[in-house]
Parts: sequence; C-alpha cells; structure tokens
Amino acid sequence: MIEVKDLRKEFPLSKQQKAEIQTTDTVSVAVDSISFTCQPGKVFSLLGPNGAGKTTTLRMLATIFNPTSGTISICGHDSVKESELVRKKIGFLTGSTGLYGRLTPNELITYFGDLYGVSKADQAIRKEKLYDLLDMHDFQNKRIAKLSTGMKQKVSICRTMIHDPEVVIFDEPTSGLDVITAENIIELIRDCKTQGKTVIFSSHIMSEVDLLCDDLAIINKGKLLHQGTMDAFRANMQETNLTAEFIRIIRNS
Amino acid sequence: MIFTIFKKELKETLRDRRTILMMIVIPVLLIPVILNVSVGIMSSVEKEASAKELRIGIIGNKNCFVGKELEAIPATFGKKKISYYSNAASLQKDLQKDSLDLGVMEDALLKDKFSKKTPATILWYFKGTEMGMEERAKGYMQYLENKTQQQRYQEMKIDGTELKPLIPVYKNIASDKEMIGKLAGGFLPYIFIAFGFMGCMYPAIDLFTGEKERGTIETMLVVPVARWKILFGKMGVVILSGLLASSFSLLGLYISLNYSDVIQVPEIKEVIQSILTVKFILILFLLLIPLTVFFAGVLIPLAIYSKSFKEAQSIITPLNLVMILPAMLASFIPGFELNYATACIPVINVVLASKDLIAGTLDMGMLAVSFLVMAIFAGSSVFLSNYQFGKESNVSN
Repeated sequence: MIEVKDLRKEFPLSKQQKAEIQTTDTVSVAVDSISFTCQPGKVFSLLGPNGAGKTTTLRMLATIFNPTSGTISICGHDSVKESELVRKKIGFLTGSTGLYGRLTPNELITYFGDLYGVSKADQAIRKEKLYDLLDMHDFQNKRIAKLSTGMKQKVSICRTMIHDPEVVIFDEPTSGLDVITAENIIELIRDCKTQGKTVIFSSHIMSEVDLLCDDLAIINKGKLLHQGTMDAFRANMQETNLTAEFIRIIRNS
Repeated sequence: MIFTIFKKELKETLRDRRTILMMIVIPVLLIPVILNVSVGIMSSVEKEASAKELRIGIIGNKNCFVGKELEAIPATFGKKKISYYSNAASLQKDLQKDSLDLGVMEDALLKDKFSKKTPATILWYFKGTEMGMEERAKGYMQYLENKTQQQRYQEMKIDGTELKPLIPVYKNIASDKEMIGKLAGGFLPYIFIAFGFMGCMYPAIDLFTGEKERGTIETMLVVPVARWKILFGKMGVVILSGLLASSFSLLGLYISLNYSDVIQVPEIKEVIQSILTVKFILILFLLLIPLTVFFAGVLIPLAIYSKSFKEAQSIITPLNLVMILPAMLASFIPGFELNYATACIPVINVVLASKDLIAGTLDMGMLAVSFLVMAIFAGSSVFLSNYQFGKESNVSN
C-alpha cells in the first residue's frame, strides 16, 4: 500500500536557470501538494504530459528524492525516516533504466539479490522462476552490452523482481520500446496485480492505461487535476475516447 | 555490503580496456620507454657534443698570440676549426649567421703588456642561446691562463706554489646512494604520483559519471544500502586503481633495471637496486595510500557533478595539471627541501619525503607530519565526496 499526503517537491534554481525561464523565484515547484492512495492488488496509473511531475513523484516514492514537505508511507513505513526499510519493499523500473554492460545477466541479478539481502537459496529459486518466465536461460551468461534491447529489458525486469517486492513502481516503463518488448512489461504488471502487489506506473499512453489500470490520477505542472477509479473516469467522460478526455482535462487546467 | 559493491565495481573496472591501459599497461611499458628515450637522448647529445667540430674565429692572423696558442691546444679539448678575420664586425656577423661558434680577439697591446708584466684582455664572443659555448670558451681560457701564468713564473724565477697560500680541497661526503638518490629522487616520486593520479582518473569517471550517463545510478539508489556504503565500495576501487597504477610503474622500473640494458653504468644500477628495498616500498606506500585517497576524494565529487564522460574529462584535465604541477616543481627544483613548513603542503610533502627516503636521509618526525597532513586532507576529501554523493541534484541527471 502507498499513501501519499500533501506531497511537495521544490528544486532550487541556479542564476542561469532563473535567467532561462525569466523568473525571480528561488525555487521551481515540481510537485505541488498532491495526495493519493494505491491499494494492494490494484494498478494505479499516474498520468500527465511531459514535465507534469510524474517522474519526480515516483522518484520520491522510490526514496531517490526527499519530499520538501508532505509524507509518503509505503507498507506502513515512512519514506524518509525508514528509507532503507522502504527500499526493501519496492521494485523500481523505468523506461530509461540502464544496466551494467560489462556484467552478464547472471552476475547482475546475483549482485542485486545480494544488495537486497536475498539468501543464496531464495536467489536460486527466484532466478530459475524468472528465467523460465522471461525465457532468459540462453543469454544468462552473455555480456549485457551484447544483448538486444528486448533481452536487456527482460534483465531489467528480473533485476526489479529478484527480491519479490511488495510495491512495484514503473516510470514510463514502455517508453522507447518496440511493441513486442513492451508486451513483456504489460505482462509483468498484470502478474504483479495477480500476486496482490501494489503497482503504480506513470504513462502518457492511454491505450496502456485503458488496458491495465484500476485507479488513476492526472497531474499537470505539479498539481493533481483528477483522481478516482478507472471505471468512474470512463463513466464521466465528456469526450468520445480516453486520449481526447485526457487532453481536455489538461487543457482546462 | 561495501565489499559486495567493491567486488562488483572491481570486476567491471577490470573488464574496461581503457582502465586496464591506464592502470597496468601504460605504467609497466612507459617507464622502460621513458628511461630508454631519456638515456638515449642524453647519450646522443653527449656524443654529438664531443664529436662536434667547434668553429672558432680569431681577429688577427696565424702569428698572433691567441692564434698560435689555440692552434697548439691538444685535441683532447675537442675538435676545432680556426679561421681568421680582419675586423670584429665581420666576425660578429658570422656568429649571428651561425657560421661560427666562438670568436676571440686579443688585446691590441698584448705584446707590450706581456713585456711590462701587466694583464692583457682576451675578448670572447659567443651566442648565449647556443648551449655549452660559454663553457667551451671558459675551458680554453683556463688553459691559456694556466700556460701563460706558468711561463711568467719561469721568466720571473718565482715558485708558483709560494703565491698560492691556500689549497682548496672539496670532499663530497654524500654516499653514492645519496647522490643518485637525490637525482633519482627528483624523478621517481613524480612518476609514482602522476601514475597514481591517472590510475584514479578513469575509474572515478567510469564509476560515477558513467553510472549517470548509462542510466544505472537510479537502480543503485533504490537498493536498501546507505549511500555512504555505496560511495565507499566505489571509492575503494578508485583508490585501488590508483595504487595499482603506482605499483605497476614501480614494476616497470624494476623490469627496466633488470631485464633491459637501459642503464649501462653498473654502479648506478646497483644503487637504484639497493634503493628498491622492502622497507623503501613499505614507507613509500605509507605515503602513497593517503595521497591516493586524497586524489580519489578530489576526483569523485567532480565526477559526480559531471553529467557526461566528456564533461568530466574537460573538468578533470585541468585538475591533472593543478595536482601534478606542484609534484613536478617539488621534484625538479633543487634546494626545495622537506621541513616542517613543506611537510604541511599536500602532494609536495609526499614528493619531498620520497626524495629524502630515496636518498636515505628521511627524518621520521617529518615523515609522521607528512603522513598526518595527508591523512587529514584525505579524510576531508572523503567527507567532501560523501557530501556531494548525498546531494540529489548531482546524483541523477
């Protein structure tokens, strides 16, 4: 479960940045007092155009950034005060996540398994299961730098899931991927839901949202514009399709 | 966890050809090459200088005093070719054109002054831009002066020794080890420091800027490990790389001495070999360890700040000069000694202490001060790295 209350994130502006955006403000507000809750066994989608504050929000959930104000609770733990505990509970995957090209998938998965404190016995069981599921056996000992984009994405999924996280955070996970590779991610999100995990993912591709999500929130310029269930969103649409409705909400803001 | 991170980073680093090149290949191969080239250049310059025929112009004719005397100077003073000029202007013109190396003009009243037993002037022309010409002129002049003086003593029936109340005797009490140590001491610490810095440079960029550029840093920041532990694991590899580069340069030196004929003088070879003892290596590493930690601690914040490999290189390259220039100055400026003031200057204290260590004159008090100062600087630089690594703005692009 993820509970976000009055979350705000400010970034200090340098002189150069102030000149570029022609402002006298000393900070830029990336996320402005947003609150939402993600339930276990459900997929929560965070929607918004580029620069809306989705990535900053997810980075705060993943404890990469500390909030300027507000609180985040993940599985009952505070993301700032108990950040190490929180990190044990989460899996984090982004579309731009890189991998260590000089390692093999096997070496990389073992490394992250060790860092997450997974015992060698559990690592062996989970590796076997994930390798079967993602069809990774053939390339597990090849250098990652020599793998195709699809293979690398499978390694990334494996890395995210090796510690069997309760909460999975996806930041535009399919961005830049071909449809076949993107399908692996869609499958992963479905699996996580089936297993009762809490899933939050950001996207601006409405077809993905339509396919996967149970609850959604729309943000723009750091502010929360809409929050509710996907069913309610569909029921109250003023436009003929999801994309048009999304654009209408953003423009009206 | 620190060791898990260290092991993984080391594995990755050892699989990077660029780092291997800077850490192992270049130090091992470059030292023999540097020694070969420098010894080769020195001996060829010496050979060329001794074989060079000196072109001397004399204002006057073959029967003048200088003409007769210079023609009679033995060949042990070097080959020479003498030509005669009627005036100073044409001689100076040829010197300017480099058709002559030295010009000589004797006093117009030389014979009269000789008969009156008063001093006569011998004027030497040379170009200061031509290396060694002044010394050659002084050498000839010394010869002429001694010979003329002896003749005058005989004419005046004087015992020359009676006019020399004091005989200076200069005795060098420095051992061969000290002499060569002072000479080698200027060169060796600089090599270890330069390679140590370069050895740290690539891993620092690769392990910090590289993580940002390749988009792997986020995956590290979400693991349940404290950031300082991640930093220490990575920093350990940077420090090890620097120390390995210094060690491999030492190995390169050992190989050049034992398996090549770069140094042909057996005494020098023996002295350098006697310098490379276990005690020397241990004390050297005692100084190199805090120095390398300091290098890593200075390089890492810059690598964290940089957004790309290119940006990191453009920031770190000038730092390379800032770090290595003092080492170079301390290495090669004569008379720059280790004292309580210089022992407090980082980098320079290591160079000067290494020089004294090689010469066998290292004061243990100074060593302790140098080590303490370097340890303080190393600790501060680690603190700075930790501060920078903890900053949100510098960790992710």
